[in-house]
Amino acid sequence: MSGLFFTQIQTMKLEIDEQIYCLEAVQKAAYRFIDRLTILITKVDGKLVCEVDAVAGTEKHFDENVANFKRELLDQQLRKKIKEETEPARNLILAYAFSRSGLQG
Amino acid sequence: MSKFSTLDKYVSQQGKYELLPFRFESLEDNDVVLTNFVGEFVILKRDKLDEVVQKRLSPTDETYSLLRSRHFIKEVSDTASIELLGLKTRTKHSNIRNFTNLHLFVVSLRCDHSCQYCQVSRQSENKAAFDMTEETADKALQIVFRSPNPAIKIEFQGGEPLLNFDLVRYVVIKAKQINEVEKRDLQFVITTTLSLITDEILDFCKEHKIFLSSSLDGPEDLHNRNRPRPGKDSYSRFVDGLQKARDKLGYDSVSALMTTSPASLTRVRDIIDEYLKHDLDGIFLRHLSPYGFAIKTKSYEAYNVDRWLEFYREGLDYIVELNKQGVRFTEHFASLLLTKMFTSSDPGFVDLMNPSGAGISAVVFNYDGDVYASDESRMLREMGDTTFKIGNLHTNSYEEIFTSEALLNALDDSFTLSAPMCTDCAFEPWCGSEPVFHHAIFGDVLGRKPESEFCKRIMGVVRHLLNKMQTDPEAKEIFMRWANKC
Repeated sequence: MSGLFFTQIQTMKLEIDEQIYCLEAVQKAAYRFIDRLTILITKVDGKLVCEVDAVAGTEKHFDENVANFKRELLDQQLRKKIKEETEPARNLILAYAFSRSGLQG
Repeated sequence: MSKFSTLDKYVSQQGKYELLPFRFESLEDNDVVLTNFVGEFVILKRDKLDEVVQKRLSPTDETYSLLRSRHFIKEVSDTASIELLGLKTRTKHSNIRNFTNLHLFVVSLRCDHSCQYCQVSRQSENKAAFDMTEETADKALQIVFRSPNPAIKIEFQGGEPLLNFDLVRYVVIKAKQINEVEKRDLQFVITTTLSLITDEILDFCKEHKIFLSSSLDGPEDLHNRNRPRPGKDSYSRFVDGLQKARDKLGYDSVSALMTTSPASLTRVRDIIDEYLKHDLDGIFLRHLSPYGFAIKTKSYEAYNVDRWLEFYREGLDYIVELNKQGVRFTEHFASLLLTKMFTSSDPGFVDLMNPSGAGISAVVFNYDGDVYASDESRMLREMGDTTFKIGNLHTNSYEEIFTSEALLNALDDSFTLSAPMCTDCAFEPWCGSEPVFHHAIFGDVLGRKPESEFCKRIMGVVRHLLNKMQTDPEAKEIFMRWANKC
């Protein structure tokens, strides 16, 4: 997967190119896996580094979970793109929805 | 000269579309489900999603018109999509504007049953100390009619409310007197096992159009095992009571609920068959909740969400097959979710609301005058946790109760649109915040969603519904009927 590099096996380290995956996307992906993976995110030499460990009891699914985490990174980056692009429309819809509520400031 | 333009005049300009707000989740087989601002949904292949976001979708592609019709994309000059989404958003949240509809009166904590999984921590001794008084009921009625909601439902809960039927009678008559001036759409429900129902009580129910909500856990052996009482005759009393109540009040005036005990897990078909045997037109396949005796007796720990989902899926699939054979029968939890998936209406089910329905949609007046944000909140109180006590009828005003920090903090802190993971979750428009459950399990109203059994349960059921709709067009038709009941 472009932008991701393995550097270790035990506590797995993933180096992530921040130009491809932003910090927010990485944090959100890590949160979604909080029940399966413990992920510590640091920034080293301009790159995001994820130290990935299995949550106790999930060790035998570690590889599968890491693979899914990588897929989730893609999803989160795409979600961010959609969210940013649709922000004006989202605000307009809410403004219209509450236009008769008397709650506008 | 033709009076009509040729078809190509109506075809959109290639690539001239904009994205509208939507979220997505991966499903099986490289499918993704997209949900828009109000919970309308579309299922696409992952490649197609990328095509959509990169604006490579051709106007001649059938997905184009599908996404446009459901407000996932709009053409540059198109302003109607935004207005329609705004209107639908307003409709979807109109319940919030009406404020509290459901008012629960816990008229007694006493009960003639001693169910292992009881979420209310009943008091079985004959103590008047656990009955609501007329003075407390008067105070509660003052609060009830301060609600701006044009529809008011008063539900009598217990313990077993029929053990304090004099107070039920008092509240009904008093509420109707007040309503002669208020002119609300006033409805009464008694939640009862039917074990103590009498002709006198039924006459009163008939006179005042009171509905009965009862409990049936399955076939006789299972029901009696789940619901012990002196004489071990809970089932036969339910059956007799159901017959009497239907004869007196009509078929539609009595409904039943079940709870999934550990002993129920292998018997979902038997349970559904039992409901059919009594001509009940649907079932709510309910999981256990982490409150009251369900915790004390460790019933709650007896099965996890994965096991419950297995039970649920087997039950739902069986119900769908029954419908295909011409038997009209609904699974009510699916029906609630499907209503949110297929319509702009919100069914107002407290567990599936955001902001939470606690306090806003429903409020509980406990026998002792304490006010709780939901039924689950007062169940926690019986376990010694008063986090969601929002006031007391004897010492607090309406304003103090509904602006209490206990209520506002719970609503604010659990709001799904600002909750980690929920904010990006495609299932969020169909889900709810459930602050009381998360507080009970995690000690905070938000909890960690990836570890939350509530989250796993909703996701599990939704994924199963979507999968069935994808693979079985007849099931989809059945689901659409459940969502669009007259």
